[in-house]
Amino acid sequence: MGEVWTLAEFRHGELSSVSYELLNRGKNLSQKLDTALASVILGYDIKKEDIDELIARGADKVYVVDDKNLENFLVESYANVLIALLDEYKPDIFIAAATTTGRTLMPYVAVRKKTGLTADCTVLDIEEGTGNLLQTRPAIGGNILATIKTPNTRPQMATVRPHSMKPAMPDKNRNGEVIYKKYDESLFKTRSKYLRFIKDESQQVTVQDAKVIVAGGKGVGKEENFAIIDELAELLGGAVGASRDVVDRGWKTYPHQIGLSGKTVSPALYIAAGISGAVQHIAGMQTSENIIAINKDSDAQIFHLANLGIVGDLNEVLPLLIERIKEYKAKEASANV
Amino acid sequence: MSEAKGMIINMKIVVPIKQVPETSNVKMNPETGTMVREGVESIINPLDLYAIETAIRLKEKFGGQVIVISMGPDKALEAIKEAIAMGCDDGILLSDRKFAGSDTWATSYVIANGIKQIGDFDLVICGERATDGDTAQVGPGIASFLDLPLSTFTSEILSLNDGKIKVRRLVEGGYEEIELELPAALTVVKEISDPRLPTLRGKLKAKKMEIPVWGPQNINADEENLGLKGSPTRVVKIFTPKVTREGEKIIVKDEKTLNEAVDKIMDYLIKKEFI
Amino acid sequence: MYNKVTPEIVDELIEIVGNKNVIYNNFDAMEAYSHDEVAEKSYAHMPDVVVKPSSAEEISKIMKLANKYKIPVTPRGAGSGLSGGAVPVEGGIVLSVEKMNKILEIDKDNLMVVVEPGVVTNEINNVIKDDGLFYAGYPMSVETCYVGGNVAENAGGGRAVKYGVTGRYIYGLEVVTPTGEILHLGGKRMKDVTGYDLIHLMVGSEGTLGIFTKIYIKLMPLPQSKVDLLILFKDIDTAIKIVPKIMTFGRIIPTSIEFMDDLSFKTSCKYLNEKIPFEEAGAMLLIELDGNSKAELEEQYEVIGNLCMENGAIEVYIADNATTSERIWKIRRNIAEAWKQYSPDQSLEDVVVPISEIPKFMEKVRKISEKYDVPIPCYGHAGDGNIHATPVKNPKFTMEEWLDILHHKLLPELYKEVINLGGTISGEHGIGHKRREFMSMALEPAQIEVMKAIKRALDPNYILNPGKVI
Repeated sequence: MGEVWTLAEFRHGELSSVSYELLNRGKNLSQKLDTALASVILGYDIKKEDIDELIARGADKVYVVDDKNLENFLVESYANVLIALLDEYKPDIFIAAATTTGRTLMPYVAVRKKTGLTADCTVLDIEEGTGNLLQTRPAIGGNILATIKTPNTRPQMATVRPHSMKPAMPDKNRNGEVIYKKYDESLFKTRSKYLRFIKDESQQVTVQDAKVIVAGGKGVGKEENFAIIDELAELLGGAVGASRDVVDRGWKTYPHQIGLSGKTVSPALYIAAGISGAVQHIAGMQTSENIIAINKDSDAQIFHLANLGIVGDLNEVLPLLIERIKEYKAKEASANV
Repeated sequence: MSEAKGMIINMKIVVPIKQVPETSNVKMNPETGTMVREGVESIINPLDLYAIETAIRLKEKFGGQVIVISMGPDKALEAIKEAIAMGCDDGILLSDRKFAGSDTWATSYVIANGIKQIGDFDLVICGERATDGDTAQVGPGIASFLDLPLSTFTSEILSLNDGKIKVRRLVEGGYEEIELELPAALTVVKEISDPRLPTLRGKLKAKKMEIPVWGPQNINADEENLGLKGSPTRVVKIFTPKVTREGEKIIVKDEKTLNEAVDKIMDYLIKKEFI
Repeated sequence: MYNKVTPEIVDELIEIVGNKNVIYNNFDAMEAYSHDEVAEKSYAHMPDVVVKPSSAEEISKIMKLANKYKIPVTPRGAGSGLSGGAVPVEGGIVLSVEKMNKILEIDKDNLMVVVEPGVVTNEINNVIKDDGLFYAGYPMSVETCYVGGNVAENAGGGRAVKYGVTGRYIYGLEVVTPTGEILHLGGKRMKDVTGYDLIHLMVGSEGTLGIFTKIYIKLMPLPQSKVDLLILFKDIDTAIKIVPKIMTFGRIIPTSIEFMDDLSFKTSCKYLNEKIPFEEAGAMLLIELDGNSKAELEEQYEVIGNLCMENGAIEVYIADNATTSERIWKIRRNIAEAWKQYSPDQSLEDVVVPISEIPKFMEKVRKISEKYDVPIPCYGHAGDGNIHATPVKNPKFTMEEWLDILHHKLLPELYKEVINLGGTISGEHGIGHKRREFMSMALEPAQIEVMKAIKRALDPNYILNPGKVI
């Protein structure tokens, strides 16, 4: 039986926390299959602490390719390296996060390996008897769930939706094997060149990464009113989401769009303000753990999904809520002094 | 874009598109939480419209031609003709019983082989993903089969010259700028453009046009790689999630109920430890 | 002149309709029955009591009671009207038909449905669409309005070019008269000239001559396809000149021909962030065609589109699927909402002029708009000359200044110009009490006298919907 592999994401010199979520998912699979759980980390100037952290979070092995050519993600070089690794070690399962990197690299690799890849899975399990990976993913905007397997080819590949599982607590006493790999310059040859990264200040917290999302819809009324959505999001340490109408009108940029033609998210808390809950929007957020909806129209579809629904004007409710949260925080802070 | 005006490069751009069920007027069944899909019409995947628009703008600026290609039943001709009515020059339909049941691997294979057959292209531009399957795997899959440099989630084309294209792509927390040698493949996001509407002239042109329909023999496809037989994945089962949750609902009528509503939200946030 | 509703009278009403169907002494619950969709608060008035009967017999008893005590009765549908027709201006009883919401019969052999007045208009189409049928009456508010209100107002809407207005499909009515008689007019007969046409006296009577309890509606075969054209013109004149040509040259009757002036679509397009080159245009037409096959519609839109291009159109966009249709109709539907961002106080007018006079009318509107410094976006149904000129309060005016300008200067002047052009003051929203004071501008004295005589004959105590129309 081959190993279970996860892709550790190393960007701008930092290991992304989604890498630990993948390990926690992979642990369950490797235990059922009684095989080793390994992480693959590609990049440049990878710190020892990061490798140790992967082991602490559950990796039995870590495959490390540290090369100047891998400093930034370019699909051609990353794919070449991965394929070389897969060819050499022949893991049984290989999972990555459904991030921009995972969603680019995995299909590029799966095609070359002529193997199956299932996108954006929310549940992974092992089929009794065959040991096949059962991959469950939402389709048609989350309106159906499909369970998919790759019976005849290896590795079985999947991308997993970020935040669909919590990382395990680190265990500093765990031991793991670290395998450093070096490759010939020719493997890194690409026809693409990385130029630069531009930080988007409005995306301090991105909707896919956020634990809390405060999203505004047409009911916000106008662009200026979005300030209260922004403020509430900041106060809750969350990201700002928007319905398609809002993005179409130019009140918020596309990275904020939630729904069928935007992002699919599953935060711990989703506050929908002035969002009626069109099918397309619901498709993008219905798996959120807690949903609070505020809408003037008591018949709005969004109330069918909400754990708590407020029928009222968001421009009255939210400013008062913001005030109350600030008071509460001030009180907590002084109590802790 | 930042090039000198009047530079003619004569781009040959291929845009793979997909026909999907139209969902904007679909209602939810409140009991099951699923879409009511009866009598739903078919449209071009909404996210492909941005790819079509991007290709047409490049053609308008640099000269050349835009060819749309789609794999699907005969009905998908409608989608191809709509793209032509928007301003694309040619279309090809990949249609055969043997293509049916293809997963993303086999679909990428068929479309990539179709594009090889067109030949001599500079760019392949895809939508970010299709709104029905939602995998976003076919665009990168095509690039991989064609062995092309690839930029996914492309939000802006910065420049195009000397056989290179410079683009900006949307990633977590910001944007990346990369440069690709042509021929190259892009998948694009909504930010890149505002799709135009089909015009009467476009419709008339599309109506007259004969769209070639290609089967496996036209694209030198290995039959082992087609349809279910060529698909590494299998669907084990399909089921409907239960999503409706009837929570508490509070109606704000006046100052008093407004305060009560805000109290409720506060209680909820505190209880669940969000503040 | 009228008596107040006493607790004793309320007890008698409870005896007729039951306790749960009477709202009395409950300000919150009655507030919803004090206004319709006319935005201005000055047009609202609280009722003394609200009753919700379930049958013609109950309504008959209520009317007899009201006659006995001289209490005004105001009938009410969904309250989606735009002329204040359902507002109890004299207080008294509001008679809501909301409980009478059953589709009584679907008669496929005779292509008829029989419904109660409280059925939501769209509901009729939902239940018959699988039988390949539809009801062609189409007020823009189909998802909320009641068919009873549609009949009372003889509602028009966006499809009148091809399908006419509500009255065309009404073949029979059960009506309770103001004195409490129950009349059975017409039925499922296609032809009927036996006596005066009382059905069409009742249709459009704005709830002043009778209360409908059963409505016989003619159905049509449901068209299988539709196509929309959005056409950009450099100016209004060029746009309007096309309208008759579509029918004379093109020999095509579109389902609807909607018109938008630059003030309307520019505001809407900017609000929607729509990127079609609208800045170049001075007017837009939105034409909808329906039919049974895509091929038939293709031929038709080619004829119309070419006609437009040959006659000075800047561009013709074709929408033959839900994505593109929705995109172009959004421009038309969001005009009012887009203008609300500028100012929420608007007076949605409903004038009609002969189609050929639309450009002249628009010139007059521009002059009035400049004179009073009030923006007046104009949009509506070009195919029947029904233009929703909408004066919007300039934020520089106080509310008092605005109402004074609107009621005493701007509207009288606008209506005068309309009448001079051979038009009239309401095409589909009705007179209600919003436009009642202007009736004498639009009609000759003898006409009004005939109407008053009819009203007197049917309602000697003047208790049914007083203060409306005449």
